[in-house]
This record gives sequence, C-alpha cells and structure tokens, in this order.
Amino acid sequence: MNAKKPIQGLIIGAVLIAITLTATAQKHPRELGPAPELKFKLTRPIQFTLGNGIQCFYMEDKELPLISIRGLFRGGSLYEPAEKAGLASLMGTVLRTGGTKKMTGDQINEELEFIAASIESSGGTEYISVSGNSLKKDFGKLVELYSDIIINPEFRQDKIDLARNQTLEGMRRRWDMPYQAAMLLFNEKLFGADTPFGRRATPATVKAVTREDLIAFNQKYFAPNNFYLGIVGDISLEEAKASIEKAFKGWAKKKVALPVIPKLTEKADGTIYYAYKDTPQGNVFMGHLGITQLNPDEFKIEVMNDILGGGGFTARLMKELRSNRGLTYGIYGGVYEGTGKDRGPFQIGSQLKANKFVEALEVIKGIIKDMQANPVTDEEIATAKNSLVNSFVFRFEQKGQILSQFMSLKLNGYPDNYLDTYIDNIRKVTKANIQEVAKKYMSPETMIFVIVGDEKKFDKPLSTFGKVKILDLNKIIAEERGEQK
Amino acid sequence: MKKARKIAPLFFCLLLGLSAFLAAQNLEQKVNFKKLANGLSVILVERHGAPVFSTVYGFKVGSVDETPGITGTAHLFEHMAFKGTPKIGTSDFEKEKPIMDKINQVGHEWSLELVKGDMADKEKLARLREELTKLEAEQKKYIVKDEIDLIYTNVGGVGLNAGTGTDQTSYIISLPSNQLELYCLMESERMKNTVLREFYIERSVIQEERKQTTEAVPTRMLNEIFMGAAFIAHPYNHPVVGWASDINSVTLEEARAFKSKYYTPNNCVLAIVGDIYPEKAWPLIERYFGGIPRGDDPPVLRTAEPKQIGERRVKIEFEAEPMLVMGFHKPTFPTKEDAAASVLSYVLTSGRTSRMYKDLVQDKQIAISVGAGSGPGSRYPNLMTFSGTPRYPHPVEELETAIMGHIEKVKTEPITERELQKVKNNLEASYIRSMSSNMGLAMTLMRYQLLFGDWKLYLKYKDIIAGITAADVMDFAKNCLTLENRTVAYLVRKAKAS
Repeated sequence: MNAKKPIQGLIIGAVLIAITLTATAQKHPRELGPAPELKFKLTRPIQFTLGNGIQCFYMEDKELPLISIRGLFRGGSLYEPAEKAGLASLMGTVLRTGGTKKMTGDQINEELEFIAASIESSGGTEYISVSGNSLKKDFGKLVELYSDIIINPEFRQDKIDLARNQTLEGMRRRWDMPYQAAMLLFNEKLFGADTPFGRRATPATVKAVTREDLIAFNQKYFAPNNFYLGIVGDISLEEAKASIEKAFKGWAKKKVALPVIPKLTEKADGTIYYAYKDTPQGNVFMGHLGITQLNPDEFKIEVMNDILGGGGFTARLMKELRSNRGLTYGIYGGVYEGTGKDRGPFQIGSQLKANKFVEALEVIKGIIKDMQANPVTDEEIATAKNSLVNSFVFRFEQKGQILSQFMSLKLNGYPDNYLDTYIDNIRKVTKANIQEVAKKYMSPETMIFVIVGDEKKFDKPLSTFGKVKILDLNKIIAEERGEQK
Repeated sequence: MKKARKIAPLFFCLLLGLSAFLAAQNLEQKVNFKKLANGLSVILVERHGAPVFSTVYGFKVGSVDETPGITGTAHLFEHMAFKGTPKIGTSDFEKEKPIMDKINQVGHEWSLELVKGDMADKEKLARLREELTKLEAEQKKYIVKDEIDLIYTNVGGVGLNAGTGTDQTSYIISLPSNQLELYCLMESERMKNTVLREFYIERSVIQEERKQTTEAVPTRMLNEIFMGAAFIAHPYNHPVVGWASDINSVTLEEARAFKSKYYTPNNCVLAIVGDIYPEKAWPLIERYFGGIPRGDDPPVLRTAEPKQIGERRVKIEFEAEPMLVMGFHKPTFPTKEDAAASVLSYVLTSGRTSRMYKDLVQDKQIAISVGAGSGPGSRYPNLMTFSGTPRYPHPVEELETAIMGHIEKVKTEPITERELQKVKNNLEASYIRSMSSNMGLAMTLMRYQLLFGDWKLYLKYKDIIAGITAADVMDFAKNCLTLENRTVAYLVRKAKAS
C-alpha cells in the first residue's frame, strides 16, 4: 500500500493515512456504508409555438461550441399505400439528397461537409425525421440549408434512382444474416402481411414509386403545423427563436389529415414457422401482440420486463439461458409498446446452441409460465425497481437526450408530469402486480415461433415441440427478386 | 453487457475521435493525471453536468498477445472477470473452493480429451462431462449469481460491459456520482482477486458468441480470412474471439496463467470522466487501487511481420451476397505514414463528397458502400484497408478495379488544398464532439495512455495532421499502396451444385 503521494490538504491527508492502515482487508460491497445522497434536479426543455404552428423545444448547452436541430413530422410508412411500400423511406432519404429548388444535393453535400456539419433525413414508421448539427459559428448556414430542405425540396430524379438502387441492393442482402431473416419473417407473421406494421417493402413496391409519389407524400405531411422542432446547444433562447422564425417565415399552415389505420388483430395461434438456412445456430423469435403506448399497466410491465428479459444478467432469460446453461451469447424479451396508436409485440429473441435448441425453447417457455404461476422473489423485484429508480438520472446525462426524450413524450401524448412521477410509479409496483401483468399480457401457449436454422443440427425435431409450418427461404427470396423458379 | 459483452474492436476508426485544434487547451487543463506507485496510471476529468460519471480501465493485452493453441484467451478471460472474487459472487468461499479445484482438475482432463477430436475416447469424454456437470451443480449451491452485475444494477449502474480487441482489454460502466467508492472497491477487488468461477459454462457461451458474431456474419468471416492472409507471422493474423478449436479446449489453468502475466497495475490505465471532484477521488483511488502489487513487465512480442513480397489473394464461399476487402501493410501511429493514411481514408471514402463515394456509389453505382481505415490494431505495424459492397449485377472484380483506379490516381495527382482543408476542419469538429460524452472521452484518453504511453498524444495528433501535405499523401500512396504489398479477399456466394 502506498501513502507517499502528494497530500492535497490537511484533512484529506489525515483521512488518507487512517484509511491506509485499514485497507488491507477488503470489504464486501454490502459492508460499505450508505452512499451519499444524490442531488438531482429534473431539467426540461422550454417549449413555444411559432405563429405558423411549428412546435418548438429548446435547451441551452454551453459546454461546447456545438448546436443541434432535431425535427419530426408525423407521417411515416404507416401511412403509405401497400403497393408502394417503401415510399416513406425513399421520400425521407431523397428529401436531403435530392436538393432544393436553389441547390442540388451535391452542392449541399459540399457546403456541409466542408464545415463539418451535417443534415440527415429519414423516413420511419410513424415519423419523418430531419436532423442537423454544426459548430456554433456555422449555425446560420446550417439553419438556412435546413429550412430550405424542408420547405423547398426538389426530389431530383437522379437521386431517386440512387436511393432506389441502394434500397434494392439492401433487399438482396437482407436475408444474408439468419437472425435478421428471422426478424423479418416474425414481423410479417406477428402483425400480418396485410397490415402496415407487418408488410415488407419489396423490390416490386419500391420500383412502383415515382417522383410524383414522393412529392405528393411530402406535400401531404410537410406543414409547419405538423412539425416538431428541437434546438439544443450553445445558443440563447432569443437567438434560437429569432433564427428559426426567420428561417421558416412565410411557410404557411395547411390541413394535414393522417389516414386512419385499421386496428391490428391477434393472429398468434401457436404455430412454429421454420425456415431452413445453412447456419451454425438456431435463430428464433417468439411472441404475440403486446401493448399500446399509455397502457395503464405500463409501470408494472416495465418492472416485469426487467425481470423477465430486459435488465442484463439479472434478468431470468439471460441468467438461465446464458449464465447457468451456456446456451446462448444473448437473449432478451418483454411486452413492448407499439409505434403509432397500435400494439407492439410481446417477443423474445435469441440465437441458440443448435444441439440444445429445442431444449432451450422449452426452458424459455417454462420461464414465462413460471412468471405467471408464481410471484417473483423479493430480491428480483427489489433489484428491478432499484435499477429503474437509481439509473433514472442517466436519462438526463446529455442535453440532447433530454430534448429528444421530451419531444417524444409530447408527440406520443404522454402527460407533462410523466417523468416527474415516474420514480413514484415504479416504486408502487408490487409482486402481485407483476404476476397479474404476466398473466394478462403473455400467453405462452398461443405464441408463434419463427425459426431460422438447420433442423438437422437440432437436438430434437421441431414437431416434438408443436405444430410446424415450413417456410421456403429460397422461394421467398426468388419471388421477391422476381426470378423464375 | 446487455446483449453483447464485446465492444466493437478498434478497427477502422483511427480517424474518428482524433484530435484537432480548438478546445485542446481547454481539455489539457481539465485532465488530472497521476501514476500510482504500483504503476497504475489514472486519468480524471471533471464534467459537472448530470450527477453521473463514466469509467473505463484497460489492460494492454489483447489477442495480439496470444500464441497458437490459446487464441481467444484474452477475450475469454474478459468474460471470466465478471464471475466474481472470493468475496463477491459466493455465499461461502471456504466451501466453494475445494469444488472449484476439482472442477479445474476434471475440466482439464476433459479438455485434453476433447482436443483429440475424432480420436477421442467417447466413453471417457462422457464420464468426465458427467462428473463436471455434477461438480458444477454442487458449486452452484454457493454461487451468488452474477453478483457484480447485481450490485451495480441495484445502485443504478448502466452499461456494465467489457471489450477485447487485438491490442487491449477494457472494462466499462457508468454510475450515479454518489457511487465512486463502491466503484473503487468493486474494481480493485476484481483486479486483485478474480476467481475463474463457472469457467466451462462460460467457455460454452463463447462458443456461441463465436458462431453468432462471426460464423453467421459474412463481413466478419471475410475479415477473419483476410487478416489471416495479410499477416503470415505476426499475431494480428488470428481473430480476437479465437479459433473454434482453441475456444473448445483452452483450460482454466491456461487462462489463469495468461491473466497473471498481463493483469498488473503497471499494465493498466484507469480513466474516470464526469461528476467527480479530484480532491475527493484521489484518496479513494489511492486507498483501493494503491494496494494492488506491481507485477513483472509483460512479455515482449518478438515476432515481426516480414516484408510482403507479392500480392496475396484469398476467397471464401458463403451463403451471402459478395463483398471485398483489401489491405496494404503500413507503419502505425504516431508516424507520418499513419497520419497520411488517415487523411487519405478521409479524402477517398468519408462522406458524400469523398472521391470513391461520389464516383463508385453515386455516379457509376457499382457499389452501395465503400470504406477505408486502419487496422486490425495499432500497437504494431498494421494495414490500410479498403472495403466495398458491390451492387448487383456488378461483379466484385469490377469494384476492385475501380477502387484501385482511385488509389493509382493519388500516386500521380496531389490531393487538392480544399480536400486537405476539409479533412482538417472535420478533425477539429470531431475533436470537440468527442468531448460531449463522458464515456467517449474516458475511452479515448485511456486508449492513448495505454497504447502509446501518453494521453497527450490525443491532443498532439492535431500537429501531426496539420503537418501533412498533399506530397506526403502521395508519397505514402506510392510507397505503401503497391500491388506487391497488397492482400485482397473476396466473399462470393457458394456455387450451386449443378
């Protein structure tokens, strides 16, 4: 033990010496006294609305000379026609790459990359997002380009072709990795190929999209009154307000109507879908429909998920399948919220040791049933709640993260005090609550399974585990590519 | 650790997070550095935003320190470091210890028999496996399952994880700022007293990790064969996760012996960034880490890669769409050649205005992506690499030719002043951005101190880059990017049986 370090003050010096004498016998962490109290104040963005309806969120962050913008429009792939699936994604990409009335996409690239700034846009399930960031000194330029892209996109044909070709090549490659292939098939079987949640964009639907479609889709949803804009960084509120007011001046409100999406129906019937692929492990997704956002049981479910398959090595799935049995490198699962107004999945996914694959499926099913049949242990619920409560501060680690979090809560209709009451809501959850939601939201007997792998390598035929339907991956790929077979 | 315990190795990312100009002085003032008497280097940076801090410590040991037969051991030991100590992870170590000793003995015998493959005595294998299973069940009575994880999870720790690369093994976690003493206690205990609990179960986990993260992943399989061909002598030639045969047979004793050579405070750097106060942190750090005994200097690697004297070409057949990677031997950081390679990587492949992106991805559309970088590690001379994903129906050969066209052009025409300035502007910005994350900054500073002996090299790199001229880039291309210094690897789809 070394105590010959420069001593940084008398009191500290004395402590150091005293400690040095007792440090040889190391304690168990539980023998440490209680940790000092953590001082933490919840910070939140300032919100304001511009005259033309843009809803703004602002946070100051003066630590570094950087500024970021995050914008969201409601209107993603949920709202595109089935025969043009992929439209929202293409529109999201070409919005940025296709340039504006004034500048080509290539000119924008040059301007931005030279000053180490970026603007990126993409189309998601429910939203189109447009984000930008730059050094403080270049913020004027950034905002000017940002608003030009949003108000005056040109969707030049060459960049539509580029984005389409890239998408098509991505589709050729999306079956290469077995776990990803299993996920694609699971989404289809879980939500239904005839729903906007379960259908896949294919080469045929992507080829059907025209420049007119992109423009129409863009015009339908790009309106200031459907726009949520966040700014975070080394900029004052007044400057931020003034610069966006100037940038979006004259951009007029219009009516935006989101198409109504038919409600999902439960399709899970216990079927095991098996697709052969020459690969070393058994890849599996299993589950059925989960919950919508703002579910009244959400805190109970959050704690249950943590115990079942969310919280690292303390979760049952990880503990049993990986740590106790060595059957996988990773496994997760839980009852999840959907995007939009509909339900997400209850799902469990893993890549499992092939020669113990069916055994592993049985173990997983057993874990779900046990969550329903018996209360979790005192230690499990305490750990899950402690974890959620004590790690809450990490939701506020970075200003940009705080901003995005508030925007997302606001957009999804959460109450304004959601985060203020979060810790109390988690603390209220009981063991009985967990058993109750385990029964209410999980149904192990009707779960569907999507399995990609080589059954010959499995410990037992899948038919010993349930009713099997074969999916022919080669046929799916050939049909998708429009090849004659 | 949630799903993946392995941090992506430091491949291909020398450019990211490299230094620049503006906030350099600022950072230099913020860093508190000390080397403890036992040789442990410690870096502290105060950042009082949220009440949290991030930590990483790394040992200068990775797959490059492994020899044939025990490949994957650095990584395997990294997994074992989560299994506890005589204090943590057990309800009664006195009773557990004799069972562990027996497991060690039986496991050793079992592993030696396993190595024989088809020649193994099946009956003996089954008997030993059964005995091992019984012993493991016996030991389980005393195990407090994954207690390191459990303790950190309870206090609100996030991102407990570790990563092994070719050059280093590092351990990370972020904690609420009132948990600094707990952290010091836990990690000093781990450094001193890791017990190789549940060794043979974890070995099985890693077999699955190899299948999941390498054997099922086309890019990883290609990279493995590529590195194997590019390095014929130097141990950069084998994968970090190890060969399947070695993972299946490495014994607990071998892992322990490997660990004791490299897991010493004098071969370690600790960095803590966030809501901490150095005047309070130093006494804790001294108290907990200061008592770890200094070890011998780690062994010196003697094998140097011989000069390549002709092109090497390899190919794997795999159930996936084609791709390619190629590499050229070059000196490593902090040489001028390495800096020139960084500049060139940027000019050729970074962003939509880079030469190869514009030409090959955007205009000719023969690829959907092209990339360049430096790897697989940076402790020893390494490779400048180029990778590409062709777009159907363009064959991988066409993409190779096109990439080489750009490389040849650099040898005869200097890159422009604007291109050079753009690189410098972007390095400057990336340097500022690198300071926005506690963990990012901790990892970067730790890495420079650990691998190159001085965290300030992170700041000094700006001078090296600022000094690079178009002529330097051209010289580098002429000297290093030659056909005889090149290794090319293709992934092609398995030919269908006719």
